[in-house]
Amino acid sequence: MATRTLPLSKRGFNFETIMWLFTRITVLAIYGLILAGIIGALIMSARTGANLADILYWAFFPNLSGNPLGAYIGVTILVKLMVTAFMLVVSGHGVHGVLEILDDYFTSAFARRWSRNFIITYAIVANLIAIYVIWTS
Amino acid sequence: MGLNRNVSLSDAMRYKGQEPYLAYIMHRIGGSALFIFFTLYILVLAGVDSVNAIFSNWLFQIFMLVFGLFHAINGLRITIFDLWPNLMERYRQAINVGWVVYLLLCGFAIFVVLRNMLGG
Repeated sequence: MATRTLPLSKRGFNFETIMWLFTRITVLAIYGLILAGIIGALIMSARTGANLADILYWAFFPNLSGNPLGAYIGVTILVKLMVTAFMLVVSGHGVHGVLEILDDYFTSAFARRWSRNFIITYAIVANLIAIYVIWTS
Repeated sequence: MGLNRNVSLSDAMRYKGQEPYLAYIMHRIGGSALFIFFTLYILVLAGVDSVNAIFSNWLFQIFMLVFGLFHAINGLRITIFDLWPNLMERYRQAINVGWVVYLLLCGFAIFVVLRNMLGG
């Protein structure tokens, strides 16, 4: 079977290549942040005696009001930074993924342009809401 | 450009599709499911409490586990192939390994969800 060993310089450094690279980098960042979140939650669970459900909740839903993590100021700031980074990479990765799917079904230039406008606007609004809530909670 | 594939899901599964094509379809459904999850996650962060009822529903949890886990495992395989393209010679085997890992993890996760639902 032939292998895909075309170097980056021969692929053409266009928008699609940049987005392909962006999608790969963001997914690696997502895996890294999930791993760091679970390890961080495991460390904190040792201090607070939490069960597995709490650990997963802290790793993926760290809304700090009503959460024992809120008592640790340094951890709180770190968690907020991590959740913000998680939101940004997830939305970046997701937006590109959804656009790839929509492009398979919307074939006219008009529909594709508006699907892009809609999805990018959605991502910006969603991220603004998330960042506001994360940093004011 | 017209959109006229004329290939049904069952045809695609029969003609050289099989596990790789099923993986492709599952990856897309998983990505769409995670996008819905992302939207609900934003609503939870924004304080829409009613969304918590959706998150705690066992059917929703199983749906997200079945498709979300597949997206994560299959995405890792795709990334590995992109970073080490020489592994493409083991393409079919890698897909099968991915399926085995997925089925084990997904089976365990569904077991935990159902056990919790039954109050175990």
